[in-house]
Amino acid sequence: MVKVKLLFFARARELAGRSEDFITIPEKITCVELLEIIVKERSLQEIQNSIILSINEQLYHTDDIVNLREGDEIAVIPPLSGG
Amino acid sequence: MLVTGIGLSGQIKLKSSKVLIVGSGGLGCPSAVYLAAAGVGEITLVDYDEVELSNLHRQILHTEDDLGEPKVQSAYDKLHCINRNIRIIPVNQLLDSNRMKLIMSKTKYDVVIDGSDNVATRYLLNDSCVLNGVPLVSGSALQTEAQLTVFNHQNGPCYRCLFPVPPPPETVTSCGDGGVLGPVPGVIGVLQALEAIKIIVGLNGLLSQRLLLFDGINSTFRNVKLRSRNPNCAVCGDNPTITDLIDYEQFCRASAHDKVGNIDIVDESSNVSVQELFKQLGKKIVIDVRPKVQFEMCHLTHTVNIPFDDIIKADGVLKIQQLINNITVQEVYVICRRGNDSQRTIRFLHDTHQDSMMDLKNVRGGLHAYSQYVDADFPVF
Ligand SMILES: [Zn+2]
Repeated sequence: MVKVKLLFFARARELAGRSEDFITIPEKITCVELLEIIVKERSLQEIQNSIILSINEQLYHTDDIVNLREGDEIAVIPPLSGG
Repeated sequence: MLVTGIGLSGQIKLKSSKVLIVGSGGLGCPSAVYLAAAGVGEITLVDYDEVELSNLHRQILHTEDDLGEPKVQSAYDKLHCINRNIRIIPVNQLLDSNRMKLIMSKTKYDVVIDGSDNVATRYLLNDSCVLNGVPLVSGSALQTEAQLTVFNHQNGPCYRCLFPVPPPPETVTSCGDGGVLGPVPGVIGVLQALEAIKIIVGLNGLLSQRLLLFDGINSTFRNVKLRSRNPNCAVCGDNPTITDLIDYEQFCRASAHDKVGNIDIVDESSNVSVQELFKQLGKKIVIDVRPKVQFEMCHLTHTVNIPFDDIIKADGVLKIQQLINNITVQEVYVICRRGNDSQRTIRFLHDTHQDSMMDLKNVRGGLHAYSQYVDADFPVF
């Protein structure tokens, strides 16, 4: 297990009620599983199908397997539509 | 132009270029100012809306003298004064698939700028740009955050590659509802103009395959590396299933604008009018679900403030239950600023507390409608 940093943007920030925090998760994990855990732990169900995840500022796709390291930064990014 | 890398040839490219700017609001205004001033030969502006006082803090082409004017007309007047040597074409229309097809068939644009304010238009512009092979400079902003990227360019992804599924309409906050700090879309609109100029002139360093996230609170920019286009994408993939524009309001289950009542997610029988609310004030429980800061600015007497945010993630539900237990009346009216969060509240409570005895009614149109139809002195913002 590793401790990683979560960064929340836009609606994810509103739902999580904070802009960042930490979570402890398995270091080898698929992106789908990672998303599931974050959604469940931070109550993001309502936007779970319209989020992208980046790890250390690199976008990950659902079928990717991720090797996480202590201190990695995972950004949870929903789209913004306002203007 | 004296800047290295642009020079005379760059200036000529700008002069012969054509840009479509969708939305003459917080993004479109600053974007258009810089593109007109840079000498882009032809700028088409599309917007359906009229100038309101609440626009002026960010929509910098409009003034108090323009209130009630079509935004594209107001924008045209100012841009024409900035540069009389370019062609500016105002199109005062709400974009839908047919109108978009017409616009794109008449002119071959070098760049499309997405300065729209809603999800349906974002998918419409994306698909149209993919089908017509035009790069899309996409900016968006809300409250103190913004995003910017270039879609559909140099084998980079499109909007659908990133977000194949539109967000549920009840989760989308518009600038009209959530507010936006003026300089935030301002920053992004200016950067959209910069990206457009770079595309036209042929410079490197574009925000293609990169997503820029701007945080206005901390004044930070974050660059997220994206990948090339997704071969399985429904529109730009190798075997696209979308080969013609679709009905985007239906696809997104939301209107192609950000006006009042743009969501409709409760049963018709759960709606009550503001006139009915007026008769029941003081008799029925009325919960105002706006954020505390808005409630403090103005509220109706005999209403209780339990913010939507508290209901979905804090002790709001408990407060509602306590409120109801104290009184025998079970019918509860829910009101907010424009009638969207009140619907979201009811939907949420229906989904999570099905066994509850609460009979929740949505006050249709919220306090805006109350001010319009019951009491014109009630302040709106
Ligand atoms: Zn795509």
